[in-house]
Amino acid sequence: MTPEAQEYIARRVSVINTFKDELIRRLNLPYTPDDLHEDVSLLGAGLGLDSLDALEIVLCVENCFGVKIPDENTSVLRSINTIVDFVLEQTARKEAA
Amino acid sequence: MRISPLKSRLAAAGASFAGRCGVEICAKCAEIETEYRFVRDAAAVTDFSFMQTYRIPEAAAIDFLDTLLAGNVAKVRFGRMLHTFLADSNGFLVADCYVANNDDEFLLVCESLADDASMNEILQRHGAKDAGIEDLSQSHAVIGIDGYKAWAVVKELFGADVLGLPYLSIEKYPFESGTVRLVRAGKTSEFGYLLIVPNELAVPLYEKAAALAAAQGGGRIGVEVHNTLRLEGRFFNIFAEGAAVKDPLVLGLQWMIDFDKEAFDGRDAILDRRAKGVAEKIIGVRAGGGAEDFAPGAVLYDGAAQVGRIVASCYSHVLGARLGLALFPRDIAYAGLSFHLGKSDGAVVQTISMPPIMPKSLTVKLDEI
Repeated sequence: MTPEAQEYIARRVSVINTFKDELIRRLNLPYTPDDLHEDVSLLGAGLGLDSLDALEIVLCVENCFGVKIPDENTSVLRSINTIVDFVLEQTARKEAA
Repeated sequence: MRISPLKSRLAAAGASFAGRCGVEICAKCAEIETEYRFVRDAAAVTDFSFMQTYRIPEAAAIDFLDTLLAGNVAKVRFGRMLHTFLADSNGFLVADCYVANNDDEFLLVCESLADDASMNEILQRHGAKDAGIEDLSQSHAVIGIDGYKAWAVVKELFGADVLGLPYLSIEKYPFESGTVRLVRAGKTSEFGYLLIVPNELAVPLYEKAAALAAAQGGGRIGVEVHNTLRLEGRFFNIFAEGAAVKDPLVLGLQWMIDFDKEAFDGRDAILDRRAKGVAEKIIGVRAGGGAEDFAPGAVLYDGAAQVGRIVASCYSHVLGARLGLALFPRDIAYAGLSFHLGKSDGAVVQTISMPPIMPKSLTVKLDEI
């Protein structure tokens, strides 16, 4: 792994861990962070969360990372990884501005 | 080998067949890309009769299924379904299962790596006879209706009531002289329904569904294209990554397990591996041009070091790229990294977040139709 790749992994892991901890706490999920694969589907299939849970996830992302998921951007909520991508992208944009 | 009651009709329509775990499957009905477009743009009808289906009377069902399967069957509400799995005593996958709580019965619908005889042996060991289990695999066909407009097909077949069914639910509908059990549970990212139908009604129902799908611009498809559809949507496929890896923890199937349950097949082995920590994990990968060897078994390199292995692959017609799942050590199993295929300077393969596609069905609001 190059130093850049290692730095990227560290950044990604930090967002993943924060999000998983908060998701488990807020939704009272019966899993440890290691149990939650980052590609698991959040709504419908997979974890089977509902629309109220989706609202909780949006608030969770806003509180944890200062990033707002637009109402029309439901595709972000497909998996933990798609949320993490969105957070990293928005954070990088903020830093560049 | 078990043969589908739809075999002669499919053969007459030019379908090709293959064997899988002791059952014959309808592999293809047309060119793969044509079948793929049927699902992504319209509606498609698949013969899923290779699935193993069992009926368990309500009285004994919860005790019987709960000690067998990894998920919590006792929590399945009336009219709803649970997606879980059956493991062997070593905690490795045997079958991908739906359990449906349907009125006075529970249904167990399996996609299995074990043939019919092996599955029956497992069920008998758990007291299938005392539970009154009935094997529907021989007496019923399973017809899948999937696609962006699959809802229109089932609406014509069974009425507008079907549109109100939530994902992972079951309902019975009359069809001609009999009853069809309809399960809402696709694995393509588009709308999906499974129809469990008595053999004597299988051909008329299949033909009617195929005609309705054709009216939507779709048609008949085989089982093979579902490998691509599932991978694109990151739906678990026991016949691809499941067969290659078999460990539910490495595959990320923890969501199918109730870790608080006191007993189910393979529980001790799974909990032991969980306590020790899982060393590997599968994640999504994508390759562009020049990656001809992008296929299960291909090795991925980081510099000169072999670090990963592809376990499932397909060509995504929507993305115009090769997609796959690859097994990596846990500490580098993250989206957003680049590796090389087959050698240190081979074609670039990127790890990606799944699912990589946005299905058109997500734009449809059935409650507004």
